[in-house]
Amino acid sequence: MRSARILLAAVTSVAVVSLSACGIGGSGDSGSQSTANDGPVTGDVTGTISFETWNLKAKYSDYFTGLIKQFEQQHPGAKVNWLDQPADGYADKLSADASADSLPDVINLSPDFAYPLYKKKLLLDLDKAAPDAAKDYLPNAWQGNVMPGQKDNYAFPWYLNTGPYFYNKKLFTDGGLDPNKPPTTYDELAQQGLTLAKNTNGAFAMLGQTPQIEDLGLYGVDLMDPAGTKFTFNSAKGVKLVELYKSMYDAKALLPEALSATYTGSGKKFLAQQVAISSGSAYDLQTFRTDAPSLYANVGITAPMTNTGHANMYVQGLSVAAHSKNKATAIAFGRFVTNAQNQMAFAKIVTVFPSTAGTLNDPFFTQDDGTDIGRVRVASAKQLANGINYTPVQLSDQMKTVLRNELANAMLGKSTPQQALDNAVNQCNQLLGH
Amino acid sequence: MVTDDNAADRLPGRREPNSHCVRSSQDAPVPSSAATDLRAAGRGARRSGRGIRRHWRATPWLFLLPGLAITLLFSLYPFVNTIILAFTDAQVLGGGNFTGGANFSRMLHDPQFWTALRNSALYVVGVVPFLVLLPLLLAMLVQRHIPGIAFFRAAFYTPVVASVVVVGLIWTWLLDSRGLVNSVLKALHVVSEPVPFLTDETLLLISAMLVTIWKGLGYYMIVYLAALANVPRDLHEAAEVDGAGPVRRFFSVTVPAIRPTMVLVGALSAVAAFRVFSEIYILSGSSGGPAGADISLVMLIRQVGTGLNGELGYSSALSVVLFVLTLGLMLLTMRLNKNEEVA
Amino acid sequence: MNIRAQRPGRIVLRYLLLLAVLAISIGPFLWQLSTSLKGVGEDIYSYPPQFVPSEPTARNYARVADVVPVWGFALNSLLVAVANVAANCVGAALAGYALARMRFFGRKFVVLAFVLALLVPGESIMISLFLMMRSMQLSNTLLAVVLPGAVSALNVLLMRNAFAGLSYAVEEASLIDGANAWQRFTRIALPSVKGTIAVVAIFSFMFSWDDFLWPLIVLHDPDKYTLTIGLNYLQGTFASDQRLIAAGTIIAVAPLILMFLALQKYFFRGVGAGAVKG
Repeated sequence: MRSARILLAAVTSVAVVSLSACGIGGSGDSGSQSTANDGPVTGDVTGTISFETWNLKAKYSDYFTGLIKQFEQQHPGAKVNWLDQPADGYADKLSADASADSLPDVINLSPDFAYPLYKKKLLLDLDKAAPDAAKDYLPNAWQGNVMPGQKDNYAFPWYLNTGPYFYNKKLFTDGGLDPNKPPTTYDELAQQGLTLAKNTNGAFAMLGQTPQIEDLGLYGVDLMDPAGTKFTFNSAKGVKLVELYKSMYDAKALLPEALSATYTGSGKKFLAQQVAISSGSAYDLQTFRTDAPSLYANVGITAPMTNTGHANMYVQGLSVAAHSKNKATAIAFGRFVTNAQNQMAFAKIVTVFPSTAGTLNDPFFTQDDGTDIGRVRVASAKQLANGINYTPVQLSDQMKTVLRNELANAMLGKSTPQQALDNAVNQCNQLLGH
Repeated sequence: MVTDDNAADRLPGRREPNSHCVRSSQDAPVPSSAATDLRAAGRGARRSGRGIRRHWRATPWLFLLPGLAITLLFSLYPFVNTIILAFTDAQVLGGGNFTGGANFSRMLHDPQFWTALRNSALYVVGVVPFLVLLPLLLAMLVQRHIPGIAFFRAAFYTPVVASVVVVGLIWTWLLDSRGLVNSVLKALHVVSEPVPFLTDETLLLISAMLVTIWKGLGYYMIVYLAALANVPRDLHEAAEVDGAGPVRRFFSVTVPAIRPTMVLVGALSAVAAFRVFSEIYILSGSSGGPAGADISLVMLIRQVGTGLNGELGYSSALSVVLFVLTLGLMLLTMRLNKNEEVA
Repeated sequence: MNIRAQRPGRIVLRYLLLLAVLAISIGPFLWQLSTSLKGVGEDIYSYPPQFVPSEPTARNYARVADVVPVWGFALNSLLVAVANVAANCVGAALAGYALARMRFFGRKFVVLAFVLALLVPGESIMISLFLMMRSMQLSNTLLAVVLPGAVSALNVLLMRNAFAGLSYAVEEASLIDGANAWQRFTRIALPSVKGTIAVVAIFSFMFSWDDFLWPLIVLHDPDKYTLTIGLNYLQGTFASDQRLIAAGTIIAVAPLILMFLALQKYFFRGVGAGAVKG
């Protein structure tokens, strides 16, 4: 048993050495450094900053290099290094940067990514740092980046989007529905879905996706308490929506595969003409035209379903790192990229929408030019004017998984809708507390 | 293309079929036979007065430096760190306080943990018997040196060299609702509707097990081949003379002779099965199956511990559970082996 | 063995069984190959299934490279695997030699460290490893993929056993000739354990080329992806076309199958040795 004693000695000695374990303390809570967070940032717009975008380099390289050149010309002495991170692994990249305290000066974030960074005091409070900025943007877009329990905003609103619904007119006709009257509310969706399922005997389905958190929001469920400290979507209204979906699932109006499919799954099933309606973005229209011409000929576009009268709005923002060495430059650049003129130019090459005040009134967004894209654009812009970002920033990926799994259990009949939502709320609240 | 007709004959440990492998990790740092060699050699060296101490004091440490540094830094240190983190609420974005056993008590009430644990355990139960038995039968099938046997041995081993990801993707395509398997089943009028191999919660887990078994067959076949070569032929012949049929000879001669190898294969496949990740991950399209019902313990560790909101503390606690249970499985099978030796 | 003693019926049955298992074990690869060679015009879901492509084409291999940088993935995999092989051979041989042939205080302790490392499942330390890589600013680098397995404890113990099994006589003779430890190691011991080194090299290559979970955790930039996570990425992002995925998997698996066919005996020999790893 000598070896056992040696083993013990080895383990204890290593343990003593590593009492300051890797992963405890360290990054993040270095609040003392961020004293500059308390008031307006002033100073010369000069020096080098880094600017990180999310999955934009491949397609829009020209736009950004032009933008940067222009900024550097306007501010001699300022230099911008552009980094781009592909869609996959953005969270890991941010976490690596955050823990090394090397976040880029200007970072492209959606609110749910901004939230954990904000919690670690790694982002600049822009209401304080740039008090005159808010008025430049749509109030609802500015509000979209206000962190819960705070009055202040942590990102300059950048591009907005909203998902129109695409539907397959041929499948609608085959299913005995009126192809000119796509559903506009969730109740209509369920009603039409059941009709379609009855008429087609399961040959194809109405929908390829179980409800997401934004569906609950769009149905009018209060997702969180006003203070944003706990989830509340297990209300009677939430149960009602889940019951609607459950009835669709039982009738095979909701594709059985949807239970394991991710969001792209629903899009693919629509492409394969196995579901009759699916949410998407205006960008998808192009895919239909090239990849599925027969679908393209029959595709109809309609506003997202909503029972609240508001559409769901997706927001991207530009945050400034709290520990940036050139805050003045970073703020100036963030505002430059998100100003009305540059957002308008960006919206013309990508199908996204500007978040600056008044820009959506441009004829480009109000007048239907007769093309499909134009039609979607006008419809979407109209919704965005009063759109709401329904996805709570506190909802982490882990919580999304919990919700998806619990709702799948409800669809499968392993739990009642009420139990499923109760479970989801409990687990999410527990995760929130951790 | 296949050149080596006698591969099995050249296997190491042929004379001492593999039983040392398990023992080595148990009671001694060194497989016993080698240790004896070393001790004997050491004595000889000392007696001759010269010995192997003829080197500069630091020399052994220089030789050991790369290997030992890597092992301490990237195996043992992270291991200790995992144990420490398991008692904290550390997050991916830093911070973290000691929280005692909170992570472990949280586990008790975490339905995902129980699902994951159940699936990993089911995986062991579902995979191990097949991986103990099928490769043995396969080894007996390829044991004889009939023409072309080397080709068959090589072909049966091929799935072993392919990565799990490749194998997983191949089977994802085969088991697709419109894939080959369903086409064939339909053509044979076995089924009228496609079998939902990849979308049904139970079938998905079974499909993943099938993939694991398919990929493991060749590997354990080679392990068994080495053991079978040691079964004295006269035993078989004697049994045959006594009029024992092939089935009876299998149970009365073959199985007793290679029992230690069977226990070894059981141990190895059990430990591997308990740590399953890739098969389920790939077959379920990274989702863990409908409602996450097919998630394994390793999948849960990854899911909990990564991402911007990753919970390092809880994930580490799950890792500790994985380690303890894996070790338990190993000890259990070694206990079986020991009893066997005594008997 | 004694074929004549067997009745011809038994032999036929044996071959039939062999062919059946053959179909099961390499059939799936051939089906994947067949899918990868089918043109866009050919229905891959056709019923009954078409085993031989009607118009074989290599276009899918070019197309998969348009969709994802599959050759870049392959290069990354190769770099990682080669580094892994080199590190394992050198590191394990050095450490194994020291443990087998040198006497020094703390040797038992060191052996114990290696055995302990062998017992720790990689999956249970991956999160902690990820943290380490992150704090060393190595996350998302190929170096981080290589490091944890750079000198595996199993290989050290394998090499140690190989050296311990060598006869002392020759080394003692060279000792008289005044050879130092390094010379004894490189000139006498090393050439005698070539077989074990080959096994270490081949299995290091295979484990590294096939590794999935660790690169999945530590890499997040598609430019750095190795083939296995690249394939997973291909599947997740562009699953619409099975032909492309099939082409991608063939690209990933072909080198290993070829290597296996060329170096079979080492693969088989490694099974016995590597069985400890589990």
